[in-house]
Amino acid sequence: MTKILDPATLDRPNSYIGKSVPRPNLAKLVEGRGQYVDDIVLPRMVHVAFVRSPHAHARIARVDATAALALPGVLRVFSGQDLAAVCDPWVATLAHLAGMKSAPQYPLPIERATWHGEAVLAVVAETRALAEDAVGKIVIDYEPLPAVVDMETALAPETPLIHADLGDNLCFTRTNQSGDVTAAFAEAHKIVEATFVTGRHTGVTLEPRSILADYNKASGKLVVHHSTQAPHMMQGVFAKHLRMAEGDVRVICVDVGGSYGIKVHVYPDEVAAVAIAKMMGRPVKFIADRLESFGSDIHARDHRIHAKMAVDAEGHITAIDVDDLTGIGPYSVYPRTSAIEGNQVINLVGGPYDFHNLRAKTTVVLQNKTPTCQYRAVGHPIATTVTEGLADLAADALDMDPIAFRLKNLMRDNSYPRTSPAGMKFEGLSHVKSLAKLMDMIDYPRLRAEQAEMQAKGVYRGIGFAAFIELTNPSPFMYGIGGARISAQDGCTVRIDPDGSVVAATGVTEQGQGTEGIIRQIVAEAVGVPVDTVRVVTGDTATTPYGGGTWACRGAGIGGEAALQAGMATRAAALRVASAMLQTQVEALDLVGGNIVERATGTVRMPLSELTRIVYFRGDTLPPDLPRELMQTRHFITKEFPFAFTNGIQASWLEVDTETGLVKLLKHWVVEDCGRIINPQLVDEQVRGGVVQGIGGALYELCPYTPEGQLQAGSMADYLVPMAAEMPDIEVGHVETPTRESLLGAKGAGEAGTAGAPAAIMNAINDALRPLQARVFAQPFTPERILQAVGKVPATAP
Amino acid sequence: MDMSGEQKISAPRATVWQALNDAEVLKACIPGCTALDKTSDTEMKAAATLAIGPVKANFTGNVTLSEIDAPNSYVITGQGQGGVAGFAKGSAKVMLADDGPDATLLTYTVKADVGGKIAQLGGRLIDQTAKKLAGEFFKNFGAVVGPEQEGDDAAMTEKKKGFFKRMFGKA
Repeated sequence: MTKILDPATLDRPNSYIGKSVPRPNLAKLVEGRGQYVDDIVLPRMVHVAFVRSPHAHARIARVDATAALALPGVLRVFSGQDLAAVCDPWVATLAHLAGMKSAPQYPLPIERATWHGEAVLAVVAETRALAEDAVGKIVIDYEPLPAVVDMETALAPETPLIHADLGDNLCFTRTNQSGDVTAAFAEAHKIVEATFVTGRHTGVTLEPRSILADYNKASGKLVVHHSTQAPHMMQGVFAKHLRMAEGDVRVICVDVGGSYGIKVHVYPDEVAAVAIAKMMGRPVKFIADRLESFGSDIHARDHRIHAKMAVDAEGHITAIDVDDLTGIGPYSVYPRTSAIEGNQVINLVGGPYDFHNLRAKTTVVLQNKTPTCQYRAVGHPIATTVTEGLADLAADALDMDPIAFRLKNLMRDNSYPRTSPAGMKFEGLSHVKSLAKLMDMIDYPRLRAEQAEMQAKGVYRGIGFAAFIELTNPSPFMYGIGGARISAQDGCTVRIDPDGSVVAATGVTEQGQGTEGIIRQIVAEAVGVPVDTVRVVTGDTATTPYGGGTWACRGAGIGGEAALQAGMATRAAALRVASAMLQTQVEALDLVGGNIVERATGTVRMPLSELTRIVYFRGDTLPPDLPRELMQTRHFITKEFPFAFTNGIQASWLEVDTETGLVKLLKHWVVEDCGRIINPQLVDEQVRGGVVQGIGGALYELCPYTPEGQLQAGSMADYLVPMAAEMPDIEVGHVETPTRESLLGAKGAGEAGTAGAPAAIMNAINDALRPLQARVFAQPFTPERILQAVGKVPATAP
Repeated sequence: MDMSGEQKISAPRATVWQALNDAEVLKACIPGCTALDKTSDTEMKAAATLAIGPVKANFTGNVTLSEIDAPNSYVITGQGQGGVAGFAKGSAKVMLADDGPDATLLTYTVKADVGGKIAQLGGRLIDQTAKKLAGEFFKNFGAVVGPEQEGDDAAMTEKKKGFFKRMFGKA
């Protein structure tokens, strides 16, 4: 392990780590001067629109495109067979997920549509409007096939198979087992159990999925402007499946309008657009509209979990038993796979607590719905909902306060490093300290008093808690070990230009969360220059070091450490040149505020721009063998731990209207420990944004399906997202336990809010409804479900 | 989506049954129907314009009569493709019973499904739209088959004339 950066040593004129420095792209983004894929217009560019399946499952019997092709401005129509001629299919499995299976998926299906909304035919025209008109003229005769809709019966013998070659509709199953669960339940003082449901929902990025592929037949080069989180990964995917050399493919993502994990996957319609560009030799643009996004962006969180917890008479958790079932659509999504979410649920369940007996099983089944895959806080909100829902039930059964119950069971802060019953390795967490910090923030006795006061007036208020762990800074143990070309390492190149300004090119990417801001702070500090002289380059495979991009909260922890190391190496290189120029020992010099100074006194010896003038224009005056590379690259990968776990705890204070079933959020608190905080404001914004997305899943967001497999979310009128008016104040507090894996000590912060918010809200609703002996466990907690729970309307199946 | 209802028609059962098997009558009564052509005694080709919420589309498809028990009941089934809007299908079991010598009670149970964009965008509106369309059909039907009434406009009078002309072979 390395030593950790001591913030006390950072108190210099250009100390930026730990400070809320405004991010460089703010003005550009708020003034609407960002450059998104749809802003890019290329000569000879054409547009593609897709015919999408109206059936959940159907054979494509006959296609008649005559009328479409007769429209002026309509150029080509491509079928699955057409594209298969230039593009190889993919099978999204990972070798370390034993027994996992999925079927080959093509950019457009060859013979069967397998979900409502799947692109089945591509129409290319001179404008998007013409392409859409042409889509309306295409006649496809479908032969509807029986659809697998209900995940509960997906494995039943009488249920038809989605892919006959697979033998059944099972994608993956795994059980995490530790200790003796059966004995623990047999000896339990109390057993609590519940069936939890988390609602299938999606990411709803402000900028929809967008791609513009430009293939030059003369040079054989493909340039793809892509709204993606992982440009290097996509470069590899396009090269492999379009049978090209990786070096002939360049992926560029300038500004990305939100991603949340939605944009780290391979989408068949996007690959189709690239394949068409290669076939036509013209730039092809595809921008998903909102309607098609609902049916083709990945969905997530479609889980049903039977869970129970055993406790002893003193209130210790002795065992947790979890049976998770999730439906993922007809294909596992490439290349991360759709089995990871269920796998995360069984890895994370029980996460914050000190207990020994765990049985956690996930069953991942195929169905004819939109494919699901990784979305912000993959599996975390589900595992936290189960764990914290059980914790509250257990506290209730023991007649204990939920805080007292948690305090009794949380892992002690001095008990690390340790391994959880699910096999997760924890380097250093701060559950107890975080809970104490939360207690400082919320004034618990006052809330309880207010709750009693209001209840006397017939107003139902509740407070709910959710302790959580969050998996960040993943190593190759997440994907690489399973054979996926998904990089867990990342790199940064820092160079000093002739004017003394600094350029940092990083493999991590910016989607609006401030990656460029923190990289700039880290590099400015590491090199020793004013922050506004640093320019950050992201999102271009031709100009940035190879990296994994941004996902699983790795930007700060992995990309940040690479930037720190590259910046420090660049400073060392500059000081070496300075020592030669100034005839001074290198140890006696430092680079501070853009000047070469005497380390001891701070006296300025020369501006950095003078050093660069000599290096770049009068190198003849330097000793001939003096190294003068004012450009250094460093890559970083975690070493000791597969993941840098973070932890935290949330509290929700809300009011339930038992007449209307509406939930009014009054206040939300988060204490989280993401290790070293690089920019407190950005971290708080990440946490708040995460909480809001968690609230969305808890209260509003749902992709509903009819029993026939028809998706019934088509617009923002059907699919509700949290809006500013419904959001409570979200107060964020911090505990800092830096990881010792890196000098920077940073872990991730982007998913903590989403991980814990739904569970805190569920527990708060159930706390509010306690006087009515009513409980809800099925998200989203809609007015209908709450009114059912309190007996105001008849109950239906969740 | 399932629904049911009943409609009292001021005409004898035999007349009502005749009308239920008359493509011209059905065409006049099916909301939005622009064409209904018999291809056999039990099959017709149909075209209709259907609007659910923000989606309006022209559907083309087939209408089939089955489980025919003259003059008591049959099942009328239709399915249509609406191009990019998706598809619609439905079937109705229609039953007739005497309601006195000159009137008939028509009861129906309908099962209807839509798919594709029309289901995705109109999800919240499908039930009420389907109920409205079914209600309109049977109301129209009752009006066409029943005797002339004071409120009938010129178009309705024409429809009735057409039906009775075909039925009795006279003007």
